[in-house]
Amino acid sequence: MSEIDMAVIKPEMMKPYVWLQTSDDSIQQVEQEIAMFCPLICQEIIQKGMGSSKNCAICLPQQVSPAMLSLILDYCRFHQVPGRSNKERKSYDEKFVRIDTERLCELTSAADSLQLKPLVDLTSRALARIIEGKSPEEIRDIFHLPDDLTEEEKLEPLRNITADPRIRLLNRLYAKKRKELKERERLKNIEVEEEHVDERSVDDLLSFINGNEGEPKGVKTSKNKKKNRRKKEQQKNSSSKETSELDKKEVNGHDIRHQSSEAERISESSYLHYAEDGTSTPKSDDGDIYDGIDPALKEKIDREVEDFARRLNSDWPERMQELLSSGQDRKTLLFNTDGFLRRHACMFSLVLQYFPFSIICFLAEL
Amino acid sequence: MPRLAYSFPEEVLEHVFSFIECDKDRGSISLVCKSWYEIEAWCRRRVFVGNCYAVSPATVVKRFPKVRSVAIKGKPHFADFNLVPEGWGAYVFPWIKAMAAAYPWLQEIRLKRMVITDECLELIAKSFKNFSVLVLTSCEGFTTDGLAAITANCRNLRELELRESEVEDICGHWLSHFPDSYTSLVSLNISCLGNEVNLSALERLVSRCTNLQTLRLNRAVPLEKLANLLRGAPQLVELGTGTYSTEMRPEVFANLAEAFSGCKQLKSLSGFWDVLPSYLPALYPVCSSLTSLNLSYATIQSSDLIKLVSQCESLQRLWVLDYIEDAGLEVIAASCKDLRELRVFPSDPFGLEPNVALTEQGLVSVSEGCTKLQSVLYFCRQMSNAALDTIARNRPNMTRFRLCIIEPRAPDYLTREPLDAGFGAIVEHCKDLRRLSLSGLLSDRVFEYIGTYGKKLEMLSVAFAGDTDLGLHHVLSGCDNLRKLEIRDCPFGDKALLANAAKLETMRSLWMSSCLVSYGACKLLGLKLPRLNVEVIDERGPPDSRPDSSPVEKLYIYRTVSGPRLDMPGYVWRMEDDSALRVS
Repeated sequence: MSEIDMAVIKPEMMKPYVWLQTSDDSIQQVEQEIAMFCPLICQEIIQKGMGSSKNCAICLPQQVSPAMLSLILDYCRFHQVPGRSNKERKSYDEKFVRIDTERLCELTSAADSLQLKPLVDLTSRALARIIEGKSPEEIRDIFHLPDDLTEEEKLEPLRNITADPRIRLLNRLYAKKRKELKERERLKNIEVEEEHVDERSVDDLLSFINGNEGEPKGVKTSKNKKKNRRKKEQQKNSSSKETSELDKKEVNGHDIRHQSSEAERISESSYLHYAEDGTSTPKSDDGDIYDGIDPALKEKIDREVEDFARRLNSDWPERMQELLSSGQDRKTLLFNTDGFLRRHACMFSLVLQYFPFSIICFLAEL
Repeated sequence: MPRLAYSFPEEVLEHVFSFIECDKDRGSISLVCKSWYEIEAWCRRRVFVGNCYAVSPATVVKRFPKVRSVAIKGKPHFADFNLVPEGWGAYVFPWIKAMAAAYPWLQEIRLKRMVITDECLELIAKSFKNFSVLVLTSCEGFTTDGLAAITANCRNLRELELRESEVEDICGHWLSHFPDSYTSLVSLNISCLGNEVNLSALERLVSRCTNLQTLRLNRAVPLEKLANLLRGAPQLVELGTGTYSTEMRPEVFANLAEAFSGCKQLKSLSGFWDVLPSYLPALYPVCSSLTSLNLSYATIQSSDLIKLVSQCESLQRLWVLDYIEDAGLEVIAASCKDLRELRVFPSDPFGLEPNVALTEQGLVSVSEGCTKLQSVLYFCRQMSNAALDTIARNRPNMTRFRLCIIEPRAPDYLTREPLDAGFGAIVEHCKDLRRLSLSGLLSDRVFEYIGTYGKKLEMLSVAFAGDTDLGLHHVLSGCDNLRKLEIRDCPFGDKALLANAAKLETMRSLWMSSCLVSYGACKLLGLKLPRLNVEVIDERGPPDSRPDSSPVEKLYIYRTVSGPRLDMPGYVWRMEDDSALRVS
């Protein structure tokens, strides 16, 4: 039986219907009351008198497939019932958008083409929530988008450099070296307990000598009351917009690959070549540190680490001299007579004169 | 299938993007593909520039044509401790000038640690017809005349906040420049102004602006006037008092208490200069609904503090002086179960002996009792590894942890050992830790812990710590999300910096002062990494006059897409990159 016959046979069920043609050219009959919820359909019916029969079916935009129409009509059918509470509607909406992303996209497009604003808002928000917190790659995957920005355009400096095998190996070597040094120190301390005590007495001696100078009578006066309290203001209406990725996205960038390799070359010049060892990130327990590395290379690496430690140690005496001689100048820069001194992160500016001596004491252990 | 992308009209995508506001997400969107990049740029309303020299105003304005709200930060954080000399830079004028031309509909400007002159303020007042929000945090360079230009011309001004800024206070009448017809004020913060403002103008302003929610007065506003101001704005949500002391008179007290009772929406209190404790009970009616309390200027003793905070059961944020003592913090741990942020400031930082009974125990108590505690800034004189370990285990939800043991290189007071293990526990247990400041005696070991566990760490502040370059190397190679690193007085030199040069391009900035980085290393970095500005700050004179091996005084390295800045003072040298040598 045709639909028209049905309507004749059951007059008590007669509701106005409207004919809609979806993107696959199929035509279906839909309760007019529901369909009118969509502004576009409403417009077609009222202004153009379309949709009253199969022959003058309203041609829906090509974004509206039968499946999408069905969803949209479900939405309309629910919401056009006046008695529902806000809570009910919200709950329905939340469930309604729990569909896979592809269908959600289709639905957004379809709703937009029918000018059904509430549904467009609902689906757009849902899409926004999907996008939030994801990386560009993830977003591309989800929405099947092309990766068509050039490297320059991306200006992608956030390469994870801890994946660099040289860095990883270096970390493991340091861990081993440190373990050895610690052992040596432990043996040393057993014999030479007094050294520890001596360090402290140097400090005590200093505080005795410098006790009076410790008063923060600064030379430099600051203009107004500069509040130097350490604070990280997060008060702006509870949203802390700390990250700035602006500089990452600029178009007028330089050749990234060139720069990365430059940076690597600097690393290389400091530490020479190491074999790639594709293993996981180092922990402090490094018993297997030399796994898979051939003995000749191992020896070379050992020498490098020794050399590194030696260079560190030998540099200090000269540097200490320089620091000691410039120590006085630095002190005056860091104190001031500001009445709001307690607002300063005084932890940083205190007792500068202890600094050079403490450093020496520290390094004695190395 | 490309089908998906192309079936989205631009307006739809724009509409989706309109629900995405977080800068990081906007950044991600713009990197997805060309069309998204363009659409995102076109509909971007809000821009945050974390370092004013990372990008030029012209670039921003060109890429984002429809911006309504801008936030820019200038000087490095250590400028707060006077480590950045005068005249260093961070001038906002080029930004205002570019935006005046490009964004006639700009509504909001928020600046931090920037220099803004009266000329800038006048330009703002003249150029943006819909201007509504001006927030200046830790800024300087302007006077009350500049403010007068804003108040006289910005008819739609909603927020005017001067937070901790240095303002040359010429005349208090700038406030009177608001026309009588002006009623749109929502937020006014003048707490940093030194002189009196015209009080009657203020009273009239406050009472006619019925949407006023935030009012932070300056110290010069006497306590006797506070009640009247409150009566004029019973809808206030945030209040900063002026001086909180006057001769004790019962009628003044009663008046004040009644006025406070009338403010049913009050959630945040601050100010409290020169507190007379007997006036504190006037606050009791509002205590139970307070979520934020800033007593960092209130020199009141422990017992009075305890009486006050013990009633603040809804408190989420508390800033207080160390007069609170361990006993007070225990009370807080018991009463303020909703506490999220605690800052305890030192009352006498330069005294050699402790003046208050505040130790590590106070912080331990709060970490036990306040399960939502996420953000801590704590000044104290002693700390132990055991306490830090306890705190870490109690509060794995900690996201910001800044500990300031007043004496540099102070060891664990119980064991005399370095505090490596304690801070190690913090980074190990607090997996979402984003910000960390270290203090006390620390060896390279603590940096190894930080590099191993501090995977979400974004900002690290270090002073008087470490033994060798290894320390710096651990941090640079281990902390994947590090954005800002600031170091002073540590024995870190060239090796770690050069070995991890590539890392610097993934960070916003690195500050190193009184360390051991040589001029030669700075030159090398500058030469090889043109997308960084490597700036040597040295007030001793040109670094060329000293050997290459000589350590520089201060070093500030930041990534940028706009090349060298053109406003460097005489004591700042940028290390040239070899693009300067290339023929164009």
